[in-house]
Amino acid sequence: MIYKRIIPVFLLKGKRLVKGTQFKDFVDVGDPISQAMIYDAQGADEIIIVDIDASREKRLINTAIIHEMISKCRLPIGAGGGIRTLDDARECFGAGADKIVINTSAVANPSLVTELANEFGAQSVVVSVDVKKNGGGAYDVYVESGTKKTDLDLMDYISNVIALGAGEIIVTSIDKEGTLSGFDCELYRKMKNISNVPLIASGGAGRYDDMVELFKETDCDACAVGKMLFLRDYDIVKFKSYLKGRKIPVREA
Amino acid sequence: MGPGLMAQGQERGVEEVMKIGIINNSLGNVGSVYSAFEFYKYDVKLVNDPGELDGCDVIVMAGVGNFNTGVTKLKQLHFWDKLNEEAMVKKKPLLGICLGMQMFADVSYEGGENKGFGWIKGKVVKIEGSSVKVPHIGWDEVTPLDDRLFKGIRYSAFYFMHSYHFIPEDRSTVKAVIRYGDIEIVSAVGKDNIIGVQFHPEKSQGDGLRLLRNFLEMAA
Repeated sequence: MIYKRIIPVFLLKGKRLVKGTQFKDFVDVGDPISQAMIYDAQGADEIIIVDIDASREKRLINTAIIHEMISKCRLPIGAGGGIRTLDDARECFGAGADKIVINTSAVANPSLVTELANEFGAQSVVVSVDVKKNGGGAYDVYVESGTKKTDLDLMDYISNVIALGAGEIIVTSIDKEGTLSGFDCELYRKMKNISNVPLIASGGAGRYDDMVELFKETDCDACAVGKMLFLRDYDIVKFKSYLKGRKIPVREA
Repeated sequence: MGPGLMAQGQERGVEEVMKIGIINNSLGNVGSVYSAFEFYKYDVKLVNDPGELDGCDVIVMAGVGNFNTGVTKLKQLHFWDKLNEEAMVKKKPLLGICLGMQMFADVSYEGGENKGFGWIKGKVVKIEGSSVKVPHIGWDEVTPLDDRLFKGIRYSAFYFMHSYHFIPEDRSTVKAVIRYGDIEIVSAVGKDNIIGVQFHPEKSQGDGLRLLRNFLEMAA
């Protein structure tokens, strides 16, 4: 049986990890390498690391950091931030990333998704989508770390990137991110019928029961955790024991 | 399981430091395989030139990505015939990981019809089942059918990421399986001196490291 995954999401600013609230008000939460080693030891199922300034600054995530992480950890690592070309992706894979995560460039240049999937395989291409609820209750898609609104229809956009070759989708609710107030389950329920690839929920994890609710009420395969792990008294071992007790299939480690 | 890897006994201890060569096929992911073996302080190197395989006791073929691209790259880099010789004539212990394992097959249907090494009879086809997500990504519970490769494994969960899977013809070559929705996915194969795993032991924390060590102990 395939297990539900718990994925610490690392936001990289310079050489340090940061954590904010709704994509603002960032505070330092440590060194990426030492944090990765800690969560690896606790049995995290995967780590996603994203340089949140790279896209706007038109540069690539620092791949030396990815390389050091993979040399010291034994878990899959997804990396993103400023990947705009096949060569950018190749540099990340060369440094040891198992997956690459694209967000802004998937909107700006959708054919990149296909090129990446053809070259590296769909299973290595994660499309990240940041969304915010608008006044009408619908979801708008944002790029450049939540700073720029697009006029894309969320569901059409997701169906489209899957058709283009995305192997996995991570959807982050900007409204929920860093608020510790629970996942936007309504958002992920909407995706049940359009996503035939694995779906990662992100934004809002604050209590054990937020994860239980997410996995019981939606079709998500994985959940991102951030603030709850970095700035509150939780760890991956506790998550897994609690979820197991609530009959959510998680992996022991 | 016949002669070779699984029957050679313990003639040489792991302490005697086997030389492990990892094919550097520029398909990514070999860095992780390298660091996993390096963890045990083995004499491990990334092999860029086929001639270097002569000095290796054990060969590892890793990689993710497209089957056709993988085969083409091995041929371009002149590894194809050399690997056939090392694995089939010299009978060196060889481990295939993910795409490396799929290349054992006669044929893959990823991106057209492409020939593999044909070391283990069978074909590689797209994962298809009712209500299963493709790609198959994440940690999955592996049922071992072989005692030695999975010796001492604690939780038997390994990390997978693939859209195609290997269906061997001869059931005796299947060394582990998983159940994914309504289908079975072969997650390890073995025959004589070659072993292949569909999952990524180099990414599978403690059990992954244990499996790599088991492979080397079987090769010793």
